[in-house]
Order: sequence, then structure tokens, then C-alpha cells
Amino acid sequence: MKLLLISKLARSSRAINTITQYSRVAGELGHKIAVFGEKQLDFPELQFSLDVPAFDIAIFIIYMPSDFPDLPYLASLLDGMPKSRRVIIDCSGRYNETIRVEHDFNHLEKMDGHQGWEWIEAFQSVADRILQPTLTPRRDDVGSFLFHGYDPEGVVHPVASAAEATQHWCRSKKYGVAYVGNNWQRWTQVQRFLEAIGPIHQKLGPIALVGWDWKRRPDWAVQMGIKGADVDPEFLQQLDVETGDAIPFTELPGFLSNARFCPIFQRPLFNELGLVTNRLFETLIADTIPLVMVPEPLAESIYGPAVRPLLPTNDIGSWLQDIIRNPEPYWEAILRVRQHLTLHHSYHQRLTELIAMLGA
Amino acid sequence: MNILFVMERRVNAGSIQALANYIQEGKNIGHTLAVYGNPDSQLSEIYFSNEVHLFDYAVFVFESRLNWVSGLQLAHLLTIVPRSRRVILDADGMYNPVIALDGYDRNHAGERERQRWVSSYEALADRIVQPTLWPCQSQVQSLLFYGYESRRRAVQACWHAKHVDIMHVGHNWWRWREVSERLLPAIERMRGAFGDICFVGLWWDAPPVWAAAIGQEAAFSVNPQRLRELGIRVLPAVPYRDVISTMSKARINIMTQRPLFRRLGLVTSKYFEIFSADTLPLMMIDPEHAEQIYGPSGRDLVLHDDIASKLLDVLEQPKKYQEVVQAVRRHLTAHHSYERRLHELIEMLDGRQPAVKAG
Repeated sequence: MKLLLISKLARSSRAINTITQYSRVAGELGHKIAVFGEKQLDFPELQFSLDVPAFDIAIFIIYMPSDFPDLPYLASLLDGMPKSRRVIIDCSGRYNETIRVEHDFNHLEKMDGHQGWEWIEAFQSVADRILQPTLTPRRDDVGSFLFHGYDPEGVVHPVASAAEATQHWCRSKKYGVAYVGNNWQRWTQVQRFLEAIGPIHQKLGPIALVGWDWKRRPDWAVQMGIKGADVDPEFLQQLDVETGDAIPFTELPGFLSNARFCPIFQRPLFNELGLVTNRLFETLIADTIPLVMVPEPLAESIYGPAVRPLLPTNDIGSWLQDIIRNPEPYWEAILRVRQHLTLHHSYHQRLTELIAMLGA
Repeated sequence: MNILFVMERRVNAGSIQALANYIQEGKNIGHTLAVYGNPDSQLSEIYFSNEVHLFDYAVFVFESRLNWVSGLQLAHLLTIVPRSRRVILDADGMYNPVIALDGYDRNHAGERERQRWVSSYEALADRIVQPTLWPCQSQVQSLLFYGYESRRRAVQACWHAKHVDIMHVGHNWWRWREVSERLLPAIERMRGAFGDICFVGLWWDAPPVWAAAIGQEAAFSVNPQRLRELGIRVLPAVPYRDVISTMSKARINIMTQRPLFRRLGLVTSKYFEIFSADTLPLMMIDPEHAEQIYGPSGRDLVLHDDIASKLLDVLEQPKKYQEVVQAVRRHLTAHHSYERRLHELIEMLDGRQPAVKAG
């Protein structure tokens, strides 16, 4: 099958890793995948095409309004591909009633000027099929398709046993804790986590927060009265937290592997809707111990029951100290989770699911 | 017929005044015209609608920006409205070859940008219209689009009661060269003979901070010191609904037009608003074009050769020029009313208007 993906690409955000993985496995499975648009030199990994009629299906990967292409491309795309052969993957739950969780929303009218009904009407008019990367879509007219996946061949330091992994992990690492993700609707969780590890942060080693807007609340958020990019620079300074700009997706596994622990946080909205992101899978290929800070039901549904030791206890400080004292059982859990992901969530598996769904 | 206009919302620029008139005229004769989008408190007179499926045609009004419409909205629009029912009004003449005038005004920065506009238009719609009597491209139809509010006349005030002698209402967008090289020297020559002079609009006091970022410093070029030295007051832009009443405060209103528009013969709202105002309009356009739009009397209101003497003559003999203005108003009522313009629009959408060939 020939799939044309439509997405605004950025090297350090949204679905770029997932799109690259689909492109990689498509050839192995006898399919063709290209991104709609002119060749972009920043993305040598990807094929690009404007030849709409040469494709069977157009898949819109939508996070925000600008994921729809500009003119002239959008017009030629919509006129060249019938609605019945267009699919939307709604990555951030736009195609729902307006939902607010803490100060996270699926419709951010203040930022993009669009009310909830506009998302619903636009999606319904653009595509016959709407998919969301959750196991539990709320609407009857939405299909479940996790979209993101796991790349078993991408494991940074493949090991044969938990003992070997432990031995390797115990070597010196640059960071005690590193989190890579943008400061968007995550501060409440990050703050709580940092408060919990504050008393032991010197034992853990340096802490890094990498992504947009961790240094301070951005001006636009202040001007628009948006709280989703809150941060407390003084508090971060007290813990000597190192902040850094977003890094390209290709550097992410290597960067995470520089840390003993990498927490996995998701936006409250995503946790509420059970939406998965690339980070849920990508963190597991790094040479680090993932701290799975997403709700237990969501974590188990994706990672399988082996994930339990990697879920936080009430006393996060004690939990991390226990891991440091005796890491091998935790690595045992990681290896079992990796097996589960390989079996159920590999990109081969995912693309096969997608093709089956589209062919049905 | 139900017609949906898709346009960038600007309360003090562009085509909003025309849209307000089309909507009103449509109501008068039983057509529904609306602007796409949610209601806007700044534009309370405008009927907005999101119910795209209720409209027979979508008219995309493009001015100087191409991608102003959100991808989400555009995707919705393009899916609901088939290509055959989309029309583009190319208000700024972007659907043309690259035209650069004296290294100053231009429609495109270069061929690459032009290609993007042209391919966008061609991807979007089968029909493109331009508000000119002589489109340069054979694929383009002529539709003047902007019109005269024949039923509206500003409150008449006594000539002597007006405190402003000369007014210019319009933004400093590719206008400085003509203003500084032709109009200001004329004013300078006889400044003592004129009373208060005002420029109303954006960017006469300073270029916008973002001019350089969009590569358009030349478009906003200005020397505010020179205006101050000539005792010319600069006043902020007014919303479209206040343009006519603002113009009516002055004895004379001068209309300038960017060189590109003059070259392409593009008309704008200002061509007609200035005749709805209680003022004596003088236009810095080519006399032939003035006659084509305003009728034979239009030539008498053109500032062409000796601008200073003309300004003085108008101030000294207002009655003579008021008669000329009345003649032009009669011509505009007969040929350029919004009632007529709406009929032309409907005929064009119905396919009853032949395409105007390149002239």
C-alpha cells in the first residue's frame, strides 16, 4: 500500500520519530510511505512527494492547525484525494468534546483561535476515518490506533541479561535524572517529582530538564494568561537543575542514556484520554531506568504487567534509593517490558495494524 | 444566491467596507451574503457564518497575504465547497508576472514567491477575478468588486465650518515615494495658503517594527520629520465605518494609490468612499483611468501636473468643483453602485459574464 503522510515536521517535537520509523519499516514490509510536500533537506531520512494520485491513502497526522499544509498544497491534496481515502490521526484528542484537566485543554482557543466545534466539523469534513492513539477513544466514530511504537533494533545498549544491564548501568553517568520533553502542561508533575527527590538529589547526581521553555515561563504565556508553561526557575536553581533547549529526535536515545533515571511524564489531558506518545516507547530503548509516571492502568495496558516495579510508589525518594541499592530486579522488569513492546508494539506490528485497518 | 466571502479580517484596511455593502445590498434584494467565521465584536455590522454548506459559492478575497487562513478552516472549506464553486478575488494583483516599478513597488519579491501565489490560486479555484478593467492575464476576469454607496451621503456641513483644508486617508503602504516626491513639494510650495493638513492612517509616524522581518522596509518608508516640518498632522487609522465621516471633516481629500495598483488599474474601496464623503475629492491617478471609472468629469478632479495650483484653485472655487463632484456622483450611481456590483458578482458566479481578455 502507498501511504502519503501529512504533517508539519520538526526535528525535536511531535511525531517526527514515529514518521521516520514508519518510513523505515514500510520498505521492509513492501509498502511505500512518503511525506506530502516538497523535499525538505532537514529530513534526509524521509521521502517526500507531491504526487497525490500516486498514493492509495492520505494520512493527516494532526496535533495543531498548522499540521494542515499551507496553500497551494492543501488545495491540491484535498482535490486530489477523495475523502473516503483520507484518514486523520488525532494525536492530541482534538476530536472530542472540550475537556479540561487541571489547566490542560484539548481545545486551546486562546492560542489557536479555534473553538471545539471547529475541530469536530473540520475533521468530519476532511476524512471518513478518524483514529486516536489511545486504547479507549471516547467517541463512537473514532478508531483506536496507537500510532507510535517501539523500535527493538534501536536499543542503545542491547544486553543478554538483567545482570549485564545492571553492571553497565552502574558505571558513571553524566546525569542522575534527565527528562526530555517540552514545558507544556507538565510542570505540576515535574515539580511534584522534583520535590520528592529534592532531599536525595545530591546522591542521585545532576538533574537535567531538556526542551522548550524550562528556563522561565515564556512571554507569550504571560501575555495570554496561559498557565500550561509554568515553571519555577528559583526552585530549579535550588536543586541545581540544568535546563537545555530541545534536542533533535535522533539524539534523544543517546541523551537519555546519559542518565540513570528518566521519568516519563505525559500531559494531564493525555493521561485522562489514555493517549500515548512517542516518548512512552522511545524511553525504553535508552540505557536508563525509566520511571513510568503515567497512570497505572495506562502503563500496564501498554507495557504489560512487568512494568509494575517501574511505577512510582508513594515515597519516590525511597523508591529511587532502593533502585540504586538493588537495580537488578528493575532491569529485569525493563527487559521484560522490552520483550512485551517488541511483541505488541513494534513499528512492524503497528504498520501492519494500520495497513489492515486501511484495507478493511 | 448565497455567497460566502472568505477573507482576512481587518477593521481598518482591505475589503471590509465592500463586504459590509455587499451584505446589506444582498439583504435588500433577497440574497444571503456572509463572511466566513465566528461573529466578531469589532465588526458587529458584518454577518458571519460558519455554515459553509448553506452557501452556493465561496469567494476567497486575497490581498497582500497568502496564508492567512488557518489550515483547519481551509481544510473544512475546501472539502465542503467544491473547486467549481470557489472563486478568487485577487485584490492586489498577485496573479500576474513579477512587476517591479522603478525598483520600488512590486507585487512579488521574486519569481519563487510569484510561483507560490500562482500555484496556490490555480490549486484553489477555476476562476480568478481582479478589480480592474484590464486584467493582464487572459485567465483572469474583470470584476471591479468595489463600489459606490449610492444611497449614502455624508451629512453636509458648511464649507466654512470645516477646520481641515486637506486630508489624506490611507495607510503608508508603498505610498511614500509619490507623497514625498509629488504631493509634499506642492504643499511646501504654497504651505501658507493652506490651513490644517492631516494624514490619517497607519505608518505615517514610523514604519512598523516588523517591516524588516517580512522584508518590506521599502513599503513603509517614511520621513515623519518632513511631515512635521510641513505642519502636517498624523492621525491614527480609523475603522472602515468611520472613513467617510472622517473624510467629511476636510474641505479637500486626496486619494493616492500605490504605483503597482495604478499600473494594473486596480480599484479599491477608497475610489468610491471618497465620493460618499462631504468633501472635494482629488485623486492622484492617471487621467485616463479617472475618466474610465468616474466618467468624463473625473479628469477634472485628478491631481496631475501642477498639484499646488490645483489645490489652491479648489480651495478658492469650491462651487465649481462641487458641480464636478456631483456629476461624478451621478456617474457612480449609474455605473458603480453596490446594487449594480452585486448583480455583476452574481452574473459572474453564474457564468454569464464573459472573461475579459488581456488588454
